[in-house]
Amino acid sequence: MSGYRFDRLRILVVDDNVHMRKLVITILQAFGVHQIQEAASGESAWEMVRESNPDILILDWVMDGMSGVDLVRMLRANPQSPNPFVPVIMLTGHTSLEHVRQARDAGANEFIAKPVSVKTMMSRLASVIEHPRPFVRTSQYFGPCRRRRQDEHQGPERRATAKAAE
Amino acid sequence: MARQQPIELFMPPNMLRAKAGGGFGGVDPAAIRRAESAMENLKSEFAGMAGDAVSTLATAHRGFAAKAGPASRAALLRAAHDIKGLAATLGFPLMACVAGSLSRLLHEAPEAKSLPPKLIGAHVVAVQAIHRQAIAVADDAPTLALLAELESQVGAALRD
Repeated sequence: MSGYRFDRLRILVVDDNVHMRKLVITILQAFGVHQIQEAASGESAWEMVRESNPDILILDWVMDGMSGVDLVRMLRANPQSPNPFVPVIMLTGHTSLEHVRQARDAGANEFIAKPVSVKTMMSRLASVIEHPRPFVRTSQYFGPCRRRRQDEHQGPERRATAKAAE
Repeated sequence: MARQQPIELFMPPNMLRAKAGGGFGGVDPAAIRRAESAMENLKSEFAGMAGDAVSTLATAHRGFAAKAGPASRAALLRAAHDIKGLAATLGFPLMACVAGSLSRLLHEAPEAKSLPPKLIGAHVVAVQAIHRQAIAVADDAPTLALLAELESQVGAALRD
């Protein structure tokens, strides 16, 4: 067999710009995704998520009403979310480090800065399939571990609790 | 800074891998080629797509010029931001850069700050001109000069 079985996945594309939705959907269809849903707002996306429980969400950051970041927070934390672990690929024209940090802190798994390229889209899809990150639950955050790499820390222990236990 | 406690770290079952497969058969080069070809075909529709986006920008600009405020500013920012993302993706880099410069001005200037109307208008006119002339290359000298001037003035406006 060659390639991922994208035909088995249901992907929800959320963007209030119809042209950007068309572009993303065109790429996904060419990859072989057959089950594609689209939503023009965070609110309608939330309804669709609850009805159909997609395997992956690709969503725009900036939308009128509920933003992409708001939607990710609901997916992760709302008790009515059908799958708090659902992989989210955040699509945005914002490219500053601060924006990447905000998307990560909301619980997005991956991040695509526009312009969207075919290779980047495939790379992010492959990443959520092949290299899912562990999840973290704290009193203030639930979502993918925000550390990109799992390297062992080589320096002195800095955690307050670990120091206290010594 | 002390860490939030307690921290629970766990690995959910990988349902995606179970459904979609993976490993050596993962990325199919033919799928990449199909998608790139589909993107090329889509670019031929860009004139129509861009026309809609440029109209939206012009409408938002008229609204902002008539009554500057948080709502009209947000609408203008959204319109500029959409063009920035869409035009770049579909291969109209200079239109994306001009829209990006306008986005920067609208996004980074404090809410209370009065924005220079002529500078905003110049960005909108530049986007319209690039669309009208269908400038799809990244090295069009007059447009590059205009972009440099717009970006310089945005920088100055944000420093003021």
